Amino acid sequence: MAFIEVKNVSFGYGHKTPFEVQALNNVSFSVEKGECISVIGHTGSGKSTLMQMLNALIKPEAGEILINGKNINADKKSVSAARFTVGLCFQYPEYQLFGETCFEDIAFGPRNMGLNEEEVKKRVLQAAGFVHLKTEKLDVSPFDLSGGQKRRCAIAGVMAMLPEVLILDEPTAGLDPSGRESVLRMIERYREHTGATVILVTHSMEIAAQMSNRILVLNKGEIAYYGTPQEIFSHSNELISMGLNVPSFTKIMIALRRLGYNAQDVYTVEEAAKQIGALIRGGRDT
Amino acid sequence: MIRDISIGQFFPGNSVIHKLDPRAKILLTLLFIISLFLCKNFFSLLLMLVFAVVCVLLSRISVNLIWKSLKAIIFIVLFTSALQIIYNDKGDVLWKPSETGRFCITTGGVYSAVFLSVRIIALILFTSLLTYTTSPTMLTDAIERLLSPLKIFKVKVHSLAMMMTIALRFIPILIREIDIIMSAQKARGAKLDNGKLGERLKAMVSVFIPLFVSAFRRAAELALAMECRCYSDGTQRTRMNRMRFTWRDIVSFITVGILIFAVVFTSFYPLWDIFLFQAVM
Ligand SMILES: Nc1ncnc2c1ncn2[C@@H]1O[C@H](COP(=O)(O)OP(=O)(O)OP(=O)(O)O)[C@@H](O)[C@H]1O
Ligand SMILES: [Mg+2]
Repeated sequence: MAFIEVKNVSFGYGHKTPFEVQALNNVSFSVEKGECISVIGHTGSGKSTLMQMLNALIKPEAGEILINGKNINADKKSVSAARFTVGLCFQYPEYQLFGETCFEDIAFGPRNMGLNEEEVKKRVLQAAGFVHLKTEKLDVSPFDLSGGQKRRCAIAGVMAMLPEVLILDEPTAGLDPSGRESVLRMIERYREHTGATVILVTHSMEIAAQMSNRILVLNKGEIAYYGTPQEIFSHSNELISMGLNVPSFTKIMIALRRLGYNAQDVYTVEEAAKQIGALIRGGRDT
Repeated sequence: MIRDISIGQFFPGNSVIHKLDPRAKILLTLLFIISLFLCKNFFSLLLMLVFAVVCVLLSRISVNLIWKSLKAIIFIVLFTSALQIIYNDKGDVLWKPSETGRFCITTGGVYSAVFLSVRIIALILFTSLLTYTTSPTMLTDAIERLLSPLKIFKVKVHSLAMMMTIALRFIPILIREIDIIMSAQKARGAKLDNGKLGERLKAMVSVFIPLFVSAFRRAAELALAMECRCYSDGTQRTRMNRMRFTWRDIVSFITVGILIFAVVFTSFYPLWDIFLFQAVM
């Protein structure tokens, strides 16, 4: 039995109003312990809804979610247990900061877990280490930080609970390339240290390919594909028709094929470079 | 629960109520509120409630949605009813728990509790229709036109109308924001719906601070965006859609006129009420 099992889950918003939407429709998949999964999909495809379900914030209308073999919505106890097993970092988490100091804000989660002050302090310092937030910043009000630092502080607030499953909903939204890179490094540091399972929601195929061993593609509330980056990118034409952006090197390979070159599907920049190099040497083969 | 409050939202539609002139709708709403307070007995109140329900049905807004937003104010209704039952000691005593205590439930208390509840429900039903069926821009225009006589006193009518509309528009946005922040803090283990009272209050701080911060941020962003589009006081502005009174508006005014007459009439000649009141007892 897999670590996380999602079975035939459906959910809709605003039933019997003019704004009714079926956000998720019969979604099933499973995640093994220690995996890193990327969830990708067009805007409104139900990614955030699915993530909130894994944390028992939303109860599925049909189907069930098992973590470690236990239904997370079974009773009140298992709901609050799921909140601590699964750490969920929302989209634009910096808008949820409230503490007087960064320390207080990061300590919010651990304190809610009922840890003693000594342990809380240890957790905060450890989490600040994961996100490279300088120790002197811990005594500053989070509202005085820069945008990127706020994001770090907010992510640290979730990491400080040391969840076994870390879910991040578009952690790189609105960041510049270097900010993006540093957020990805934080996630990697956290994984190395704790061996946690990570689920990453993103709009970028590059990030998905780089970070994760499996990719889940959502389209209009249903799973379109679930597999290794290699398998996913072999469907690049379908992905484009779903409004998703495939990595630029994949686009180049598709264009080359259309021009009559024998270009294979690739999923890293290095492989693309190798193939293009071979093609330049080999020339047109049709 | 908090999401169910839909007051202030606009539901586009094509019903008779949607097509009324927004100025007429505002005036009719005012008239309705006034006559609601003229009601002195059950018969007239019932008349008002029936009228409100008919209007809701005419607007073709989903009954379910209205039902949900009514459920959201049930607390206010229960609270006022409880106060009435506890403090009103007119009429006959229905129930007295102890001979020596002052507390007792009287017919007068029950009567006024029911009366007030029906009044609040009719009020919410009818007044929420105004924003449900009128787009914010139409609403601003209408408020501005209705207040325009105040311009002689150098009142900035346009700015006032604009502020009112923005405030209305912000209600659903802020409700959505509260929803997201609450979920985010719950994900960090905040005891928002399952702790002791003290814990819950403490957890509320973690919701309200980000909410205020984001309200101010949104207001500042909106002001900036409006300035970037050269928004100014609007004294020289012409309109894309002219508002016109049509036969529909005349019919609606006549209907409400008859309603008010009926309310006043039955309040002075409470024949029906004696009948109903006796039936209640
Ligand atoms: N609180 C809500 N109330 C009503 N409808 C909602 C709510 N949250 C989401 N929806 C709707 O449910 C659908 C799925 O939304 P969701 O937020 O899960 O999408 P998403 O994949 O996360 O999109 P994005 O990439 O833009 O974040 C959308 O059509 C959205 O409009
Ligand atoms: Mg989302």
